Amino acid sequence: MPAQAGEESLIHVAIKAETLFTIGPLQFTNSMVGALLASAILLVMAWVFVRHPALVPSRVQSLIELPIEWMSGIVAGSSSRWRGYVALVIGLFMMILVANWLGLLPGVGTIGVRHGEEIVPFVRAAGADLNFTLGLAIVAFLVFVWWGVRIHGPIGYLKELVGEPRYMAPLMFPIHLISELSRLVSLSMRLFGNVFAGEVLLATMLALTTAVVFVLPLAFFVPAVFLGLELLFGAVQALVFALLAMTYISMAIAEQSGGHDEEHADHDEHTTTSDIATSQTASA
Amino acid sequence: MKPERGVENDAQDSDANASGSIGIAFDLGVRLGISVILGLGGGLLLDGWLHTSPIFTLAGMVLGIAAAMYTIWDVARNAMRR
Repeated sequence: MPAQAGEESLIHVAIKAETLFTIGPLQFTNSMVGALLASAILLVMAWVFVRHPALVPSRVQSLIELPIEWMSGIVAGSSSRWRGYVALVIGLFMMILVANWLGLLPGVGTIGVRHGEEIVPFVRAAGADLNFTLGLAIVAFLVFVWWGVRIHGPIGYLKELVGEPRYMAPLMFPIHLISELSRLVSLSMRLFGNVFAGEVLLATMLALTTAVVFVLPLAFFVPAVFLGLELLFGAVQALVFALLAMTYISMAIAEQSGGHDEEHADHDEHTTTSDIATSQTASA
Repeated sequence: MKPERGVENDAQDSDANASGSIGIAFDLGVRLGISVILGLGGGLLLDGWLHTSPIFTLAGMVLGIAAAMYTIWDVARNAMRR
């Protein structure tokens, strides 16, 4: 929000990521710094994890293993071909989670360089930039389409888009196309909307409480409550994005492979039933 | 060990199904609105390009609403399959 001449606004949240410097045609924005920092944190985590992996994990190793094992457990139940996309789903989850939580650290969005009346922060939460969320959504969308094409073939996938009966193609093709594209847009817009709304909420609460803190010192705790909520929302949004990517891919596999997955599911059910029967016999 | 793995697999399947359903529920409302906006936006762009206003805008809006309805049907069909 731009400040009026002569007065300085306490609330500064720009909807567009701000440029820090330019290298040729490339504009280096503060949200890019946020995304790069999140990537660096994930790389360090991976390095710590693979350096000395122990069968009995240390506390640090357990902390890194926990979200990965939890997400693998969820993805493993989604389809029979889960190994093909589990890395992507976990990668999306971890990247968004770290990027969202990074935006809550002190100094992010507040420390920066002065450009005229306004301060341009050095770091901004990556999820508060539509370019970042759209990039992630495009990756998820391409993988989802690739699975459809892989299982059904390019012609088969196009036939799915055209639909049955063929004479309805002029009507059904644009409807299918809009429906498919809405997944891409909804994935990116939801994440961007939630993270950006969180940024605005925190900035507003901080500005309001800073104004009254000399009268009510306890008002400083109000933003802390919202920070706690943002921690939760950051995790929920990361989970929703990853789960939707997983659901779209597993739906593409289930739709395109016809009865294969059902057969697999029947087999699993049969195995599980016989396993339970064996267990009951053994315990008897 | 085997029986435990079987029960664990069942728990994972139900976790994945429940998580997928929650995800779809989060997604459906947004996709309905976006379908209409995409259809309308596409129609407006075509009309601006071909100077045929309001033919493609109306057609795009109808297609967008139809795509939203199709999305509901598609999600319901997939949910029933699962």
